[in-house]
Amino acid sequence: MNRLRTWFLAPARTLNFVFFLVPLAIILAYSLMSRGIYGGVEMPWTFESYQRLFDPLYGGILMRSFAISLLSTVLCLVLGYPLALFIARSGARRNLYLNLVMLPFWTSFLVRTYAWMFLLRDTGLINTVLLAMGVIREPLPLLYNDGAVVLGLVYGYLPFMVLPLYTTLERLDKSLFEAAADLGARPFVAFVQVMLPLSMPGIRAGSILVFISCIGAYLTPDLLGGSKTIMIGNVVQNQFTGARDWPFGAACSLVLMALVMILLKLFLRKGEDQLL
Amino acid sequence: MNRRLFFLSMTGLAGCTRGPVRARLNVMNWGDYIAPSVLTDFEREYGVKVRYGTYENNEEMFGKVMSGNSGWDVVFPTQNRIAPMRELGLLAPLNSRKLPGLSNLFPRFQHAPWDPSLEWCVPYMWTTTGLAYNRVKYPVQPSSWADLWDERAKGKLTMLDDVDDVFGAALAKLGYAYNSAHPDELRKAQVEVIAQKRLVRAYLSTEARDQMVAGDVLVAQTFATTAQLAIDGNEDLVYVHPKEPFPVYCDCAVVLHESKRSDLAHLFLDFLLRPAVSATIARATRTATPNEKAFESLPDVERANRTLYPTSEVLDRAEWPLPLPAEIVRLRDRLWTEVKSA
Amino acid sequence: MKSSRWLSAYAVGVYAFLHVPLLVLAAFSFNASKFTVWQGFSLEWYRLAFANDVLVESAWNSLWIALASTAIATTAGTLCAYGLWKRKAPILAGSLYLSLVTPEIVTGVSLLALYQWIFRFLRLQLGMHTVILAHVAFCLAYVVITVIARLRTFDASLEEAAMDLGATEWQAFRLVTLPAILPGVIAAALLAFTVSIDDYVITSLVAGVDSETLPMVVYQMARRGVSPVVNAISTLLVLFLGILIVASERLQQRT
Repeated sequence: MNRLRTWFLAPARTLNFVFFLVPLAIILAYSLMSRGIYGGVEMPWTFESYQRLFDPLYGGILMRSFAISLLSTVLCLVLGYPLALFIARSGARRNLYLNLVMLPFWTSFLVRTYAWMFLLRDTGLINTVLLAMGVIREPLPLLYNDGAVVLGLVYGYLPFMVLPLYTTLERLDKSLFEAAADLGARPFVAFVQVMLPLSMPGIRAGSILVFISCIGAYLTPDLLGGSKTIMIGNVVQNQFTGARDWPFGAACSLVLMALVMILLKLFLRKGEDQLL
Repeated sequence: MNRRLFFLSMTGLAGCTRGPVRARLNVMNWGDYIAPSVLTDFEREYGVKVRYGTYENNEEMFGKVMSGNSGWDVVFPTQNRIAPMRELGLLAPLNSRKLPGLSNLFPRFQHAPWDPSLEWCVPYMWTTTGLAYNRVKYPVQPSSWADLWDERAKGKLTMLDDVDDVFGAALAKLGYAYNSAHPDELRKAQVEVIAQKRLVRAYLSTEARDQMVAGDVLVAQTFATTAQLAIDGNEDLVYVHPKEPFPVYCDCAVVLHESKRSDLAHLFLDFLLRPAVSATIARATRTATPNEKAFESLPDVERANRTLYPTSEVLDRAEWPLPLPAEIVRLRDRLWTEVKSA
Repeated sequence: MKSSRWLSAYAVGVYAFLHVPLLVLAAFSFNASKFTVWQGFSLEWYRLAFANDVLVESAWNSLWIALASTAIATTAGTLCAYGLWKRKAPILAGSLYLSLVTPEIVTGVSLLALYQWIFRFLRLQLGMHTVILAHVAFCLAYVVITVIARLRTFDASLEEAAMDLGATEWQAFRLVTLPAILPGVIAAALLAFTVSIDDYVITSLVAGVDSETLPMVVYQMARRGVSPVVNAISTLLVLFLGILIVASERLQQRT
C-alpha cells in the first residue's frame, strides 16, 4: 500500500528534483566559480562574486531593491487594508468583490505592466488629459523612474495583500468591537487597539507575500524603469545574457533566494504558511 | 479522465514535434535592419523559410550564440566583434566561390582592415554613431559629445544601450580615444557615465526611434540609421556628427560554425550582395551600403544624404573600433554593470 | 455605520484603480488613430495583429507549450497532491513550496544553467522541449495546492468504504476519489494553463530559435514603445485568460 503512495509522489518528485533542485545546486556551484574570458564559467573556485556583491557600487542595488520593495509593500498595506475591511463586511456579495480584486491579478502580468506604460508616457493618457485641462503646460515625466516602478509594483501585487487581510478580518469576532464601543472607545481607538493587533496575522502574511514578490521583480523595473531603475532581478538577467558574468549572476540569485527564505522564516509563524 | 489527459498530452507533444515543411534558415539581425520584402523574395526564389530574430546590441547576440548551440545560422556582428568570435571557434569560414557577389563591394570593403580577404564575414551595412536632436523643441544645437552632459537634456535624453558607445562618448569627451583600451581611462570614463545617468531617460538603441518621433525624447545618441528613420517620421529631427572622434561601424554577415545549413546560408549572403537587394535594404532601413554597384544605383538625393554618407572630411574624424583584448572586454562589461546598478 | 459609506466610496476608488488601466487599454485598441486622441472606432489594429505572421506563430507556440505543460503538470501534480494528502512528505512539500516563492528570474537562470550544462553532453539545443519542461517545473506547485485544497473537502471515509468493499487502492483512487475531486483537477489545469501562457521571464531565458512565445513577442513590441497593435493583442489575451480564470474559480467553488 505504501508503495503505491510512493508511485503517486514519484513523477512530481522527479520533476521537482531535476528541474528545480538540481538547477539551484548548479547555480550555487557557479556562484563560487570564476567567469570565463568571454563568458561562461571556469575554475578556479573563488568567493569573488559574493565579495563584489557587498561592494558599495553593487550594494546600492540591494539597498534600492529593498527600499522600493518596502515602499511598495507599505503602500499596498495602506491601500489594501480598507478594501479588505470593506469586502469582509460586505456580507452576501463578498465573493463577487473578492473575485473583482483577484481577477485582474490572474490575467497577464505583462499586459498589466504595459497598461501603465500606455498611461504614463509623455504622450500618454494622463499627460494628454492634464495638458488638455490646462493643469500643466508641459508633459510630466511620469515614466522611467522609481515612482513608476513603485506604482507598477503596487498595482501588480495589491491583490496579494488584500486576500490574506480579508481572510483574517473576516474571521474577527464582530462582538469585540461592539464591546469596545460599549466601553466608550471611540472608533479610531477601537481600530488601533483592537482591530489592528487582531489583524496582525493577515498583515504579516500579506506583507511578506508582497515584499518577496517585489524584491524578485523583473518585468516592472525593466519596462517602467527604463533600464535605469534596475533591481536585483534585472542584474541577474543581465549577467546571464549580455554581460555574460554567470558567477556574479549566480551569486545575486542566491542572495535573492536567501533573502526570500530568511524573510519567510522570520515573519511567518508556524501554520500560517500551510499551503501544502 | 485519464484518457482525456492522455489525448491532451499527445496533442501537445505532437504539436511541438511538427517538422519543418520547407528548409529553414535562422537569421538574427539588429532591429530595423532589413527590408521585409528582401526576406520574402529570398524565400520565394529558393523555396525556403527564413526565421528572423532581432537583437539590440552585440552583447545580446553574443550571449545567445556563445554556447555554440543556439540554433541560429546567420548573425550580423559589428566588425570589432568578429575576431573574438573567430577565436572562440564560433564562426564558419566562408567559401568565396559561393559568393560571386563579393566583387560588388567597394574596394575598401573588399579588403576590409578587420578581414582583408573576407574569409569570415561579408560586409552588410555601415553606419556611424552621432547625435540626433529635435531642432524645434530642444533649446540647444548640440555639436559635441560633451553636449550630452548638458543639464537641459535632463529626462529628454537617451543614450545607446551599448557599452562601446556610452563609454566611447565619455572617453571622447575626456579627450581619449573613443575605443580606448586603457583601464585607467575606462575608469575615468565610468565616472562620467555615472554622473550622466541622472540625465538619461533610458538606455535605448533602435527602440529610441518611436520616442524621438513622438517627441518624448529630444536629444539622443543614436546610430545614423536610427536617426534617419526617425527623421523620416518627424521633420524637426536632425542628425550631426560630433566634433570629437566618433565611430564608424560596419555590421557584417557571418555564418555560425554550429550551422548545419551552410549552403543555404551562403546563398542568403550572396543574395544580400546583389546590388538591387542591397539598395533595397539601404533605402528601407536608411543605412549606408558598402556595395558599390548598389550605391551607384541609388537616386542622387540618397547619395547626397549627409546623415548616411558623410563627406570625407567628416569621415576623417571617425574611428573604426578595433577588437579589444579579452581582459579589457571583461573590465568593460563589469564597469557597465556597475553603471546600470548605480 | 457612517464609516461604511466612506469605506464603500474608498472601495470604488480602489476598484477603479485596479480595473481602469486595463479598460483604457482595451478602449484605445479600438481607436482609429494611433495617438492618444480618440478619432473614431476601428478594428484596424486587430486586423494587423492577425496579419502579423510572427505574432500568430508565437501565439500557436504559446498554445502548444501551455497544453503540453498543463497536461504533464496536472497529471504529476494531481498524483502528487493525492500522495501528500495521504501521507506526509515534508521534503517534497517544502521543495514545492519553495518553488512557489522563488523569484521567477532565479528559476529561469537556474534552468538555463541546467540546460547549458546538459547540452555539453547531449547534442541538444534550447527549443520547445526546454520551455515545456521549464513550465512544468513552475506549474507543478500551483496544481498541487489547488488539488490539495479540493482534497481537503473530500471525505476520506468514502475511499475507505470502497476498499472495504474489495477495491484496490488504485481502483479506489480512480473510481471514487478522482471523480469527486475532478472539478478541482480541472480548475488546477486551467490555472496551470493560464500561468504557462502568461509567463515571460522564465520562457525568455530558456526559449530557443523555434519557440518564441506570445509574451516574448508582446514584450519586444512593448519595448519599442506604445503601439495600438499591442493594445489589441493585450485586450484579447486578457479576455482569454480572464475567461479561463473565471471558469477555474467556478469549478473550485462547486461542491
